Amino acid sequence: MAETVTAHEQTDGADQAAHESARAARNARRQEFLAKYGVLIALVVSIVVFSALKPHVFPTVSNLQAIVEQFSPLAIIAFGLTVVLVMGDFDLSVAGMIGLSSAVVVSLMSVNHLGFLLAILIGILVGMAGGAVSGGLVAFAGASSFIITLAMGQVYNGLEYQITNQETIFSGIPKAYANIATGSFLGLSNQFFIMLFVLLVLYLLLEQSTIGRYMYALGGNQEAARLSGIRVRELRTAGFMIIGVCSVIAGVLISSQNDSQSPNSGAPFFLPAFAAVFLGSAVLRPGKFNVLGTLVGAFFLEVISTGLTELSLSTSVILIVQGVILAGAVLLSRIGRKAA
Amino acid sequence: MSGDPLVRVEGLYKRYPGVLAVNGASFDIPPGEIVGLVGKNGAGKSTVIKILAGAVAPDDGEIRVDGQLVTVPDPRHAQALGFAFMHQELEQIPLMTVAENVMLGSKMPRRMGALVNWSTMYEQAQEVLKDLDPSIDPRALIDHLSIAQKRVIMIARALLARARLVVLDEPTTSITDEEIKHLHGICRQIKQRGGSVLYVSHRLEEILSLTDRVVVMRDGEVELTALTADTDRSRLITAITGKSSGATASERRRARNVGGRPDGPEILRADKLESADVRDVSFDLRAGEILGIGGLVGAGRTELVKLIYGADPRIGGEVFVDGKAVDTSTPPKALQAGIVLLPEDRRYEGMVLDFNLRENVTLASLPGFCRAHSPFPSKSRERSAARDMVERLSIRTSSVEQPVRFLSGGNQQKVVLGKWLQRGAKVFIFDEPTAGIDVEAKEEIYRLVEDLASQGKGIIFISSEFSEMVAVCNRVIVMQEGRLVGELDGDEATELAIVELCYGHRELTAA
Repeated sequence: MAETVTAHEQTDGADQAAHESARAARNARRQEFLAKYGVLIALVVSIVVFSALKPHVFPTVSNLQAIVEQFSPLAIIAFGLTVVLVMGDFDLSVAGMIGLSSAVVVSLMSVNHLGFLLAILIGILVGMAGGAVSGGLVAFAGASSFIITLAMGQVYNGLEYQITNQETIFSGIPKAYANIATGSFLGLSNQFFIMLFVLLVLYLLLEQSTIGRYMYALGGNQEAARLSGIRVRELRTAGFMIIGVCSVIAGVLISSQNDSQSPNSGAPFFLPAFAAVFLGSAVLRPGKFNVLGTLVGAFFLEVISTGLTELSLSTSVILIVQGVILAGAVLLSRIGRKAA
Repeated sequence: MSGDPLVRVEGLYKRYPGVLAVNGASFDIPPGEIVGLVGKNGAGKSTVIKILAGAVAPDDGEIRVDGQLVTVPDPRHAQALGFAFMHQELEQIPLMTVAENVMLGSKMPRRMGALVNWSTMYEQAQEVLKDLDPSIDPRALIDHLSIAQKRVIMIARALLARARLVVLDEPTTSITDEEIKHLHGICRQIKQRGGSVLYVSHRLEEILSLTDRVVVMRDGEVELTALTADTDRSRLITAITGKSSGATASERRRARNVGGRPDGPEILRADKLESADVRDVSFDLRAGEILGIGGLVGAGRTELVKLIYGADPRIGGEVFVDGKAVDTSTPPKALQAGIVLLPEDRRYEGMVLDFNLRENVTLASLPGFCRAHSPFPSKSRERSAARDMVERLSIRTSSVEQPVRFLSGGNQQKVVLGKWLQRGAKVFIFDEPTAGIDVEAKEEIYRLVEDLASQGKGIIFISSEFSEMVAVCNRVIVMQEGRLVGELDGDEATELAIVELCYGHRELTAA
């Protein structure tokens, strides 16, 4: 056997190949469909189930209004987190920043008698400054975002307690401030429109602008991005400032809704916000963090927790179900990565 | 089981979205033979290897080991079957010692049940390395080794794991001739011990001199399997490309009419550049000139160009563009000054793998796709620019929206090139632009480099294949240990002269 030149396998080989290729393509399509729409299908299924179990409570306008109102601050935090996660960073200080900023804003009004707009503006500056410090330490000094933001969260907590003495502030909050979250427009809470505004801004930033493209590029390959002339450190810092501002907005909505500032008010939002972002990465653009997916993720989480609450289940069951859903979402987004 | 090949693959078939990567490939790897696997980028070689490694599941086809049908669902199974792989991208743990990396995958020597017995481990590693490359210290950190030495480590790991088939995917890219010879010696050692080697390379000379058998792939199919003794360079080229060709470097140089330095004005000048790896380097580059930088791996060539591009910190010196001193302390500033760098490692420095072709091509010139005063790039403009680039560089892809992850190595390299062509510059620096790229794509890249030069751009061209530098460059400067040690103008620049300069100085100082 000096040599064998494999002639192109004749007709039946070609037939078989065509058959195989069709099967492979079908498989790939099925996987892609599941990855893209799995979470949406799960959302529809849970709405149908809750509606069937509680026909007089769940599928009602007032319930929808409640869900929309409650999930807005969560979604806003999750949008901000999406921006840093796109760039491969973490921010574990969101809960701390929510607490600190709402303490700052509320005490400026209650103790220092500042107008609510000025107080909110200062609150936003606090968020930006905090983000700039985290971002600077992570992007310029090269520290791990995980550790730095964990530490910053502690610092924010401490500062919050410094301001409030760990006491709830009820008094001296202007009516106008409470109206921000409790007011409504066209039957929907103001919070919903504020959330839509943040969504629009971050959608345009991430999905449509050059800056967003750079952010995704540096999340994908930081060195290639740097060598392509992208200002990697500045963008990463900007990401932390964006999540800082989002945390402040959420902090304002939460304290305005409660008409008070209570200690640690951000803590309950921390895990669901991450969950929403990861759930969202299994939607629409599988395997990629994206704000529209995050929106669906946050809505889904709120539907589940509202639905389960209305079934009179205990908090412990709700927590377990939420955990299971998060794990399932991560699995779904892995399928997405393989299919994409 | 006598007469059965060690490995037989039959009718392998794999489709990626939009690309038919392997289309019914069949070939044998007999025991104790070195089998060469050649073919253009995108011919399906890497996919076949990934299937053997258990990294990719084939859509159809069989793998037999000693005549027994096997499946390789994951890398552990591949290891259990006695397969070991040295992929193009080295998989090592940088902060571990040589010994730890060598022992990865085999049983660590233990002490008191659970603790690692370090001294035994160093001894065992030393034992394996002794035959391969005695200059490697098992206690050294992997980071401190050269690329060639890192590859030796991978082979040592394979030997220690008693691999029966060692797969080497382009082991000789970006290493020097001497190191290549050494590597070939190691392959022959494996063969003598009864092991088989599957050797993937674009360098036909080494395929012809090293292997016992060749398998040529083209467009996902096996085009030719033959005993190496029964074939020759021109037959291989015909099988690889479907056309006949084959000229030596100096013939090519003559055919292209590459002369000495052109008369253009100075476009770039480096003055006394200094960094941690570069010592007092000065040179100039004229418009229309292609300047080669020769040297061994580790001579500071990549470090020099990264320094010029602002990607590495600078200690001293200045860069002039068009006679004016420019700030190139960061990549954005270097770009502003009109300098671009095509980095050596396209996978980790050149591309965003998650991005599609369009997004990669436009990444460095995105603001140019925005309508006036808008921060939003127009996707349709991007798409048409990307389509133009696909045509100009003959990139093989199903569409411009194809993720670059699914493109072959050569096509990925063209995408990175396309990014810089789209951006445009006065000075183009190409660091190993043809590493791991097939014959045809190499020619295309040479043509492109020459086109840029004829448009009056300044070109710096780094390659470890000195023959291609000879074929393409007007002038070659040679570096050694961070310094410039010589300059070869026009026809003085022969492979021999470059090699002599690379080694010459070192012998002088040793004497």
